[in-house]
Amino acid sequence: MDREDLNSLVIKDLNVRYGGYLVIENLRLELKKGEFVSIVGKSGCGKTTLLNAIAGFIDYKGGIDKPDEIGFVFQNYAVFPWLNVRNNICFGLKDTKLVDHFLKVTSLEDKKNKYPFELSGGQVQRVALARTLAANPELILMDEPYGALDVYNREKMQQWLLKIWHEQKKTILFVTHSIEEAIFLSDRTLLIQDKHLTKEFVISFPRPRRKDIKFDEKFIQLKKKISESIDSQ
Amino acid sequence: MLLKNIKRIYFLLPLLVFISLLQILSNSGLVNSSLFPPPTKVFLSFTELLRSGEIILHIKSSIWRVLFGLLMGSVAGIIIGLLTGRNNLYDKSFSPLLQIFRSFPAVAIIPLVIAWFGIGEGAKLFSISFAVFFPVWINTHIGSSRIPVHYLQSSSLLTKSIITKWFRVILPASLPFIVAGIRNGIAIAFIMVFVSELAGASSGIGYLISVSHLAYRIDKMIVGLILLGLLGALTDFIFIRMIRRTLPWIEKI
Repeated sequence: MDREDLNSLVIKDLNVRYGGYLVIENLRLELKKGEFVSIVGKSGCGKTTLLNAIAGFIDYKGGIDKPDEIGFVFQNYAVFPWLNVRNNICFGLKDTKLVDHFLKVTSLEDKKNKYPFELSGGQVQRVALARTLAANPELILMDEPYGALDVYNREKMQQWLLKIWHEQKKTILFVTHSIEEAIFLSDRTLLIQDKHLTKEFVISFPRPRRKDIKFDEKFIQLKKKISESIDSQ
Repeated sequence: MLLKNIKRIYFLLPLLVFISLLQILSNSGLVNSSLFPPPTKVFLSFTELLRSGEIILHIKSSIWRVLFGLLMGSVAGIIIGLLTGRNNLYDKSFSPLLQIFRSFPAVAIIPLVIAWFGIGEGAKLFSISFAVFFPVWINTHIGSSRIPVHYLQSSSLLTKSIITKWFRVILPASLPFIVAGIRNGIAIAFIMVFVSELAGASSGIGYLISVSHLAYRIDKMIVGLILLGLLGALTDFIFIRMIRRTLPWIEKI
C-alpha cells in the first residue's frame, strides 16, 4: 500500500485490540497533506487507541501507511520535567540551529531557561508543540492537548495552534472531546462510534477563522448536528 | 523580626530543656553520675578530644568510610536497579536473589566479611557498600519500572538513540526514587560504619566509642554517639541542599 503524494496518512482495514477487546474494526482513513482533521466520539470509543496505533505505540492489524517522522502531543503534556524549555525542544535533535526559531514561533524566548514546573499549563503545552515542531514531522497527532486547560486558555491555544498550523503547513490529526473545538480547528471532523468511523463532517468555514464564528448560526447548527450524531449511538 | 528569629530557634528549646534536666538529674545524686555524666562533663570531654586532635582523626576516618561506601553502594545500586527495573530478563534473573540478600540484617554479614577480608579497611568498606546497595537498588528498581509511559513514548518518537533514552529519560525520570534510596543509604551507612569500627579498627567514631566503653568513659561514649548523630544529619542535610541546587525540579514532580 503506497501513500499517494497528496496524502500524509492512509489507513486501510485497521483492527486494534486493547485489553483483550476489539476497539477499532476495519477502520479506513485518509489524510491529505496539510489537512487538519479532528476526531470526536464518546469516552472509550477508541480515539486515543487510534492515535496510539498510528504512532506505533501499540500493536494492530491492517495497513497504516504513514510518514517516517511523526509528532505526538499528549494530553498530559509529556514534556520532560528535568529539562528546561530549551533543552526540551532540543531533545533528540541532531541540528539545534532552528531551536531559537521555534522558541520565537511559540513565544517562549523569555522562558527558555525555565523548567516546566515554573510555567503555566498553556505554556507547557506550547513547549510540547514546539518540541514536536522542531523535530520537523510531516504528521502531528494531538491527543486532547487542551483538555486540562481552562476555557480562556483553551480558546487562546486554539487560535495560536491555527496560526502555527497555517505557518508550518503540517498535517494534524486532532482528538478532542469538545465538538466546538473540533469544528473551530478542522477541515473535517470525524466521528468514531462502535469501533468504526461512522460519520464525516466537512467544515467549510473560511480561514483564517476568528473565534466569533463560534456564535454563527451555521456553527451552532453544525455543533448540534454532531452532538446529536454522538448521542444517537 | 524578633519573633521571626525566635521561631527559627524553636527547635533548640526541647534540646535545652532535655540537657538542663540531665544536668540537674546528674548533679542531684539521684542517679550514678559515672553512668549518667552531666552534660558539662560530656562537653569538657569533647573539648579535650578536640584539643588533642584525636576527634578530628576519628571523624575523618569514619567520614571517608561512609562516603566511599555510599559512593560504591549507590553506583552499584543505581546500575543494577535500572537494569532490573527496565528489563524483564534481568528482573526475573536477579531480583529474587537480591530480595533474599536484602532481607538480611546488614550488620549480620560483618563477621562473615571479617572472615573473608580480615579486619582491615577492606572489610569495613565492603560492609558499608553492601548495606547501602540495597535501599538504593530497590528504590531505583521501583522508580525506573514506574516511569510514566508518555515520557517513554515521547522519547521513542523524538530519538532513536538508546544512550539518549537511558541517560536523558530513564535515569532522570528515576531520580526522585534514587534520591530517596540514597537518603536511606546515608542513614544505613552511619549504622554500618559504627558497627564495623567496633572490631578491628584503630580509628573512627565506632572505635572511639568501643575503647571508651572498655575504659568505662561514658562521657566519651556519649561524645561519640552525639557526633555520629550530628554527622549523619549533616550529611543528609548537605545531600539534600546539593540536590535542590542541582535538580530544582525534583520535588515538583
